[in-house]
Amino acid sequence: MALPTHISAPSANSTSRVPVYALVGNPNCGKSTLFNALTGLKQKVGNYPGVTVEKKVGTTYSQHGQPITVIDLPGAYSLAARSPDEAVTRDVLLGRRSDTAQPDRILCIVDATNLERNLYLVHQILDLGRPVILVLNMMDLAAQAGLRLRLNRLEHELGIPVIACEAANGKGIIELRLAMSRTDLPLSRHAWNVPAPIASAVTELQASLIAHDRKAPLIARAEALLLLTDQDSVRVAGSTPLDPRTAEILRGWEKRWEGEGTDWAGTLVNSRYEAIGRLAAEVVLPSATTGPTTSDRIDAVVTHPVWGWLVLGLVMLLLFLSIFTLAEYPMNWIDGRVAALANWVKAGMAPGDLRDLITDGAIAGVGGVLIFLPQILILFFFIGLLESTGYMARAAFIMDRLMSRVGLNGKSFIPLLSSYACAIPGIMATRTIEDPKDRLVTILVAPLMSCSARLPVYLLMIAALVPGDRVPLLTKVGIMLLMYALGTVGAFGFAWLFKRTLLKGAPPLMIMELPPYRLPLFRDVALHMVERAGLFLRRAGTVILGISIVLWFLAAYPKAPADATPTQQLAQSFAGRAGHLLEPVIRPLGFDWQIGIGLITSFAAREVFVSTMGVVFNAESSDNDTKPLRQAMLAARWPDGRMLFTPLTCITLMIFYVFAMQCMSTIAVVKRETNGWKWPVFQTVYMTGTAWVLSLIVYQAGRGLGF
Amino acid sequence: MPRVSHSSNATPLSLCQLPAGAVGRVCELIGDIQFCQRVREMGFGESTFVTKVSGTGTILCQVNGTRIALSHGAAKNILVEQLARR
Repeated sequence: MALPTHISAPSANSTSRVPVYALVGNPNCGKSTLFNALTGLKQKVGNYPGVTVEKKVGTTYSQHGQPITVIDLPGAYSLAARSPDEAVTRDVLLGRRSDTAQPDRILCIVDATNLERNLYLVHQILDLGRPVILVLNMMDLAAQAGLRLRLNRLEHELGIPVIACEAANGKGIIELRLAMSRTDLPLSRHAWNVPAPIASAVTELQASLIAHDRKAPLIARAEALLLLTDQDSVRVAGSTPLDPRTAEILRGWEKRWEGEGTDWAGTLVNSRYEAIGRLAAEVVLPSATTGPTTSDRIDAVVTHPVWGWLVLGLVMLLLFLSIFTLAEYPMNWIDGRVAALANWVKAGMAPGDLRDLITDGAIAGVGGVLIFLPQILILFFFIGLLESTGYMARAAFIMDRLMSRVGLNGKSFIPLLSSYACAIPGIMATRTIEDPKDRLVTILVAPLMSCSARLPVYLLMIAALVPGDRVPLLTKVGIMLLMYALGTVGAFGFAWLFKRTLLKGAPPLMIMELPPYRLPLFRDVALHMVERAGLFLRRAGTVILGISIVLWFLAAYPKAPADATPTQQLAQSFAGRAGHLLEPVIRPLGFDWQIGIGLITSFAAREVFVSTMGVVFNAESSDNDTKPLRQAMLAARWPDGRMLFTPLTCITLMIFYVFAMQCMSTIAVVKRETNGWKWPVFQTVYMTGTAWVLSLIVYQAGRGLGF
Repeated sequence: MPRVSHSSNATPLSLCQLPAGAVGRVCELIGDIQFCQRVREMGFGESTFVTKVSGTGTILCQVNGTRIALSHGAAKNILVEQLARR
C-alpha cells in the first residue's frame, strides 16, 4: 500500500502530554477491530460515571514509541443521539462530559463499501473543528463489490488525511500509526452552506453558546447545528445542561418554525446528504457488476420465513448443548479446586470461626461464582462469534416478529437468550436497546428466563420427584423443559403486560442494519469474551462474596453447644430462626421452615439451595450425586407425620424457583443499570409475588385434586 | 441496483405494501419526528431508491447497497412510489 503523500515525519517539538484520540464510527464499520489492532491488550474497560455505557480506553504507540491514548466511543449513526450510547459519543466529542476531557483529535472510521451513509457522521464530526483522520476500512470488501474509490480526491476535497485500511487483516495500521504520529494534523477544509431558512437560527444559537455556555466558536457552531436536529436531546448523567438563555433561543426558533411549518430537522439532514452526495459522486466510481453478493445468497436462506427459523433453532440448540455439556468439565474441575483449597485451609488452620469464615464464607462464596465462569465464557464466545460473523442481526430480524407480539423488538432477543445462562450478562446486554421503555421491560423480565443457577435446584427436585431407576430419562428431560418453557412464557407474558400498562409506549419502530457476512475474527471474539468474563467476575464476585459472608454469619450464629450437629446448629442459628419466622407465609405453599432456610440462603445464588438442604437434612452430597440428599429429603416429615417432599411439593418448589427473584447479584446489577432502587425493588416484589401466588394455586389445587 | 425507470404510479404505498422484489422511491416519511430523522440519517430519506427483499411482518430491504431490517410499525411510516422495472 503506497504511503499517502501527507504522511511525513513528526516534528521534534512534540508536546509532553499524551495525545488523546477518540475513535468514532457507525455501528458495524469495524471500529472495535481497529481499536483492538491499535491497542492490543493495552485496554481498560470502565464505565462513564452515572450512565451504564462502557468506557473503553487503550494505549497505542506512535512511530517513535510515544504513547497515544485512544478512547473507543460507542458506535453511532449520528451525533443526534437516539440511545444513551450515542449520547455519550456526542457528549465526549462536544466536550460536554466533566469526567472525560474533550479528545485532541478524532479518528473517524468508515465502511468503504457504504461510503455515502458513513460520511454523514463524518460530515457532522468535521464541523467540530478538531483535527480528524479518516480511515476507510474494509477496502478489500469494497474491491470485491467492484467499487473503485478515489482516495486522493477524497483527501483533497476534505483536506484531512485519508487512510485505506483492512483492520481485520492488519493492513493500513502502520500508515494509520504514522498519520497519528503527526504533530501538524491539518483542520478540515470542508465547508457546507447551512440551508438559508435556518442559517439565522444557527448564527444566533452559536453566539449564545459562545457567550453563555463558554464554547469555542467552531464547537459552538457544531452544537448549534446539533441542537436543531436533536430535539429530544437525550441528556444522560454527566452531560452539562444548556444555559437557560441558549435554551430559550432554541425554544423560540422551534416555535416559530412550527408556526411556519418548516421541517428544520429534515432540511438539515437532507442538506447534509446533498453535500455528501456531491462528494461521493466525485470519489466513488460505481460498481459495474450486478447480481446477488455472497451475503445476499446466504440471506436468502438465513432470513427465509421457514429456513430462517430452522437455522436459528440449530444455532440455539448448539449454543445450549455447548453451555450445558462442554462447560461441565471445567465446572467440575473448578468445583474440585475450590473444595481442595477449602480443605487445604482447613488442614493448615486451627478450627475456629476465622477458619470457617474463610472456608465456608469466602472460599465457598467465590467458588459459587467461579463455577459459572465456563458457562459465561462459552456464552460470550458464541455471542462474540455470532456478532463477528454478522449472524446476530439476522437472529434479531427473525425474532422481531415474535417479539413484536408482546410489544418488544428483535433487539431484546439477545439479552433474553443470554439470561438462560445468567441474568447478569443478559441485563448488561440490554444496553443496545435504544428505547428506554423497551430496555426497562427487557431488564424486568430477563431474570424469568431459567438461568443455569436454577439447574441444580431443578435437578434435585426432579430427582426427589421421580426416582431415577423407575422413570425414563425422557420424563425427567420433559419436566426440565417444562420449567424452562414456563419461565419463557412468563417472561413474554409479563413483557406483554408491562408494555400495555406500566411502561406503555408506541409500537416499537425498529430499524436495524444487517452487516455483510464475514469470517469471524477469533482474536476479537477472544478479547470480547475475556473482557465480559472479567466484568462478570468483578461485578457478581464482589456482591456474592459479601452476601456469602453475611449468610455464613446468619447460619453460624448464635452458636449452638459444642456437641451440636451441623443440623442442630443451623436450626437454632439466625437463618434457622428466620426460616421459622417465614413458615407461616410459605406453609400454604407446602413449604416448612427447613425449606424456608433454603429460600433465604438462595439469595446468594439459587444453587446454594442444594448445599443448604444438605446441611439442613445432614446429608453429604454434591450437585452431581444427589442420592443421599434425595433419600434424606424423602424421609423428612411434617410434625404430624405427613411427608414433606411430596411430588406436589417438589413441583410447587420448582415453580417457585422459576418465578421468584432470589439473586442478590441480579438485584445489584439491575440497580446499577436503572440508576436506582425503584426498579430492582419492583422486580423483586412482582417476581416473588407471582412465584408465591402461582405456587399457592398449584399446591392448593393439587391438594384439592387429591395429590 | 436493478435498472428502473423513473416513471411511477401515482398512489404512494407504505413499504409494507410494496411487493417483495419491487423497487420504490421514498416519497414521504410520516409519524414520529425522531424516527423520521433517524431514517433520513441512515440514508433512507426522501428520493432514496429502495428494493424490498422480503417480509410481511418484519421487512427486509436494500438501500444503497445496505441491508436494512425494519419492524412492521417502522415500515408503515415509510411511503414509497413503486417504480416500474424496465
